[in-house]
Amino acid sequence: MSRIGVFTCHCGENIGATVDCAKVAERTRNVPGVVHSVDYKYMCSDPGQSMIKEAIKEHGLTGVVVAACSPRMHEPTFRNAVEEAGLNPYLCEMANLREHCSWVHEKNDATTDKAADLIRVMVEKVKHNTPLHPIRVPVTKRALVLGGGIAGIQAALDIANAGHKVVLVEKSPSIGGHMSQLSETFPTLDCSQCILTPRMVEAARHPNITLMTYAELEKLEGFIGNFKATIRRKARQVDEKLCTGCGLCITKCPNKKIPDEFNEGLGKRSAIYVPFPQAVPNKPVIDKTNCTFYKSGKCKVCEKMCPTGAIRFDQQDELVTLDVGAIVLATGFKVMRTDKFPEYGYGKYADVIDGLQFERLASASGPTLGVMKRPSDGKEPETVVFVACSGSRDRAKGVPYCSKICCMYTAKHAMLYKHKMHHGKAYVFYMDIRSGGKDYDEFVRRAIEEDDVKYIRGRVSRIYEEDGQLIVKGADTLMGGEPVEIKADMVVLATAVQAQDGSEELAQKLHVSYDPYHFFAESHPKLKPVETNTAGIYLAGACQAPRDIPETVAQASGAAAKVAALFSRDELTREPVVAVVNRLPAPTFSYCVGCFLCQSACPYQAIEAEEIRGRDGTLIKTLAKVNAGLCQGCGTCVSTCRTKAIDIQGFSNEQIFAELMTL
Amino acid sequence: MDLREKSRQLLENGDVKAVIGYERGTMGARRPAFIRKAERADRLVFDEACAQNLATYLTRPEVRKLGRVAVAARPDTLRAILQLMAERQVKEENVLALAGDGTVELGTAQAIEEHLATCAKELPARDREILDRLSRMDRAQRWAFWQAELSRCVKCYACRNSCPMCYCGHCTMDCNRPQWVPVASHALGNLEYHMVRAMHLAGRCVECGDCGRACPVGIPIHLLTFNCEESVHLQFGQRAGASSKLDYALSTFRPDDKESFIR
Amino acid sequence: MTEPFEPKITAFVCNWCTYAGADLTGTSRIKYQSNVRVLRLPCTGRIDFMLLAKAFARGSDGVIVSGCHPNDCHYTSGNYHARRRWMIYRDLMDFMGIDTRRVTFSWVSAAEGARWAELVNEVTTSVRELGPYTEYKELALTGVE
Repeated sequence: MSRIGVFTCHCGENIGATVDCAKVAERTRNVPGVVHSVDYKYMCSDPGQSMIKEAIKEHGLTGVVVAACSPRMHEPTFRNAVEEAGLNPYLCEMANLREHCSWVHEKNDATTDKAADLIRVMVEKVKHNTPLHPIRVPVTKRALVLGGGIAGIQAALDIANAGHKVVLVEKSPSIGGHMSQLSETFPTLDCSQCILTPRMVEAARHPNITLMTYAELEKLEGFIGNFKATIRRKARQVDEKLCTGCGLCITKCPNKKIPDEFNEGLGKRSAIYVPFPQAVPNKPVIDKTNCTFYKSGKCKVCEKMCPTGAIRFDQQDELVTLDVGAIVLATGFKVMRTDKFPEYGYGKYADVIDGLQFERLASASGPTLGVMKRPSDGKEPETVVFVACSGSRDRAKGVPYCSKICCMYTAKHAMLYKHKMHHGKAYVFYMDIRSGGKDYDEFVRRAIEEDDVKYIRGRVSRIYEEDGQLIVKGADTLMGGEPVEIKADMVVLATAVQAQDGSEELAQKLHVSYDPYHFFAESHPKLKPVETNTAGIYLAGACQAPRDIPETVAQASGAAAKVAALFSRDELTREPVVAVVNRLPAPTFSYCVGCFLCQSACPYQAIEAEEIRGRDGTLIKTLAKVNAGLCQGCGTCVSTCRTKAIDIQGFSNEQIFAELMTL
Repeated sequence: MDLREKSRQLLENGDVKAVIGYERGTMGARRPAFIRKAERADRLVFDEACAQNLATYLTRPEVRKLGRVAVAARPDTLRAILQLMAERQVKEENVLALAGDGTVELGTAQAIEEHLATCAKELPARDREILDRLSRMDRAQRWAFWQAELSRCVKCYACRNSCPMCYCGHCTMDCNRPQWVPVASHALGNLEYHMVRAMHLAGRCVECGDCGRACPVGIPIHLLTFNCEESVHLQFGQRAGASSKLDYALSTFRPDDKESFIR
Repeated sequence: MTEPFEPKITAFVCNWCTYAGADLTGTSRIKYQSNVRVLRLPCTGRIDFMLLAKAFARGSDGVIVSGCHPNDCHYTSGNYHARRRWMIYRDLMDFMGIDTRRVTFSWVSAAEGARWAELVNEVTTSVRELGPYTEYKELALTGVE
């Protein structure tokens, strides 16, 4: 027999002024099963909570209903109080008299009636509540960081410095990411390589960090604290242990005409290569699509030259399985390529380049060794036009969002150009200058005021070639839309920042959500910016949205802090609001018929198959089984189950049915 | 060669443990026959009058225990077999469908799928007529129609038992904690029963119409499940029983599913 | 003298969007009609069609089902599953002659406090105009005997 206590809160005037709380408490006394019903000014106050605790002991309550504010507000408070009095916390429910009643209705009998109804509903529910216990799951204290750019490096270093093991996986042959390609960084104009390289080396040498470059995530199973990741280590065709990184193979490789990815196609590399001189690890890989041996079956010059015999033409991809407790996603971004712009020549003009290409032209380690030379003929460009918002904020290009970094790097590019060619002319076409950030606006002002960069507010409608020059046609909207035509030697498009190729597939492997542009989605845009909706998977950097370096590093440290907090405990406890498949004595075992229609409905892949076997090992029945570690308690499976074999704790069929039957 | 001879061979060679087919019943009707010995195979008939969907028996414990069985299969039976495979109730290696005139052996899900592609599906004229009538009614008339029809229901559960997809060991109707649907065959109990049945078959109904044929009081209840199935087909472009790979319309989704009523 | 008809409205809402949205209506002190009784479930994916049927059987004159907008589901896809179920169930109700004007499906996010008030008011008013759902209530009454 239920012995329910109901505690109606006035919340000062908040409930009491609209709802006749005394009357509600009085009426509630007549509800079957209710043995104690009182009202009080502030139930959440210490005296209020004491009232509940004492009543539990005095009246031997088997369930508690607190009729007060939203359960989203004080449910933990009252469940704690109930637990302190020795009752299972999940035997306490709240009726929402404030947000759903007193605050939204006029003071009258109907409102008081509604309050009494809401309490009755919860009394019926709580009669069917069962004691629940938090779910405990062990935590594997090793993190997986996907992506070896500055975001991944920072996250890996922070987690490693907190004393935990980290595996840093990077798909290209070296860590470093886009930041390693940059010449200088805004707003300080310090050399990107100079600040990044020490971090790369630190990551490689850190005793807690295992680097896996030229590797990608193949598969992910499991759940927070208990992931099982399968990593594909792509064959480098080079034995990393034997290779000393002497570079003789690279010098001797006969095929040196391959467009260099690191230099954004502005330079050439050999078929066996390291992406850039400061690469970490500084071990080459063979590009199989371009290697003469793989194409014709003859060559092997590198093998003959290698002093340590490290070349392995027969090396195969290797699959490595890792147990990890948390994952940081730091897979970065890509920029839109110039061929996406018909109005700017579909990428057919060699001297219309994107921002990353300009970085390589300006870089002292780039293909021109930092001398301003335009790609087509190596001539020094006397006039350069920079076009901000190329593709960004442009629905026709499928990118309605602001790419965020372009205003700043365009100002930087124009300055770098002017610093290298004092007599040159730099023009910037822009829509708005978005330079929010520490020292950012000052930086843009410097470009305009000190370095004499000409800013023109307007869009460029067309670029075409005439007599070896690029004609840039646009309009100056601050001059009443007056047409502007500039004869330029080179044009730099600040093209849109986009999600990395393959983001959608990766998100699906990890079961994290993504936005319409394939950037990974955070759990909450403000309050959970580094978490994903999948517990144990965190975000860092531009894989979530366009970000600059300071933000990326801050977010990476944030994600690392989340991982460190997760790893600070040996066990996780989770709310026991999870689905369960009923189990019964033999020969029924369960109402589950094993149709597994629930399996594809589960957003978390939490439904597994459980085989019931007889003593002799023969298979009797295959049932669905919920992995409580994976289940998040949405209950979609419950609605799919025809036999009602699957139910959700805390919102069970019996509870909801009882609530409904009260109405 | 006909079904009898085929069955005899299969049983003699030990290819199957039993042949589930049809034999002559009373008054020209056909009834199911379970042939386990080759010499009994000459009882089998397979003609236009054989209407029942024999896939229903594949999930019965007695049949499951046998191992591999052959089934005289009409197109609806084939669809039911595929759907049962998708729902992990029937193992591919345990069923040999005898389709066409009863001599076309379909031993794999793929063979069944390919054979089904050649079968056309048509709604019987009587059903067409009722649906046309219903489509001309307004809501209140449809309510009155179904209330009148369902008032004859005695909840004998023949519809449930005849349905190849109603194989659950413990039906929602038997669920009493909580008692979702009243046991009695009064107006509310009947309405809720048939509503639940239709919803539970939405996306799973192979449209054999056996439930309607089984109804002793002649309620066209198969039209309820047909309606759900049609609704699935129109809105999600798929039909039950098309594949042995699970593709249950109500446990999958497309982010761009189109509806017009959600505010 | 007969009292004016006051409809009984039952609302099934998800915990993360609509329930929170309704909380916001409260926090913003936006007033709406008090006929509605809200039942909180984790997700629209949990809202079995039987709950709707039972609400009518218990004498509800109108039902509201509401959850997170597409793409916003706390559980990533519960609302998409729910939407499919509603699409089929609504067709079946209509085919069986159940008054679908009495069921309102909607998306109300945690930020849409005003929208929740508007929705409840609109539904309450329109159901009040439709009058009591006598057909179904009579059915339910036969069930009691």
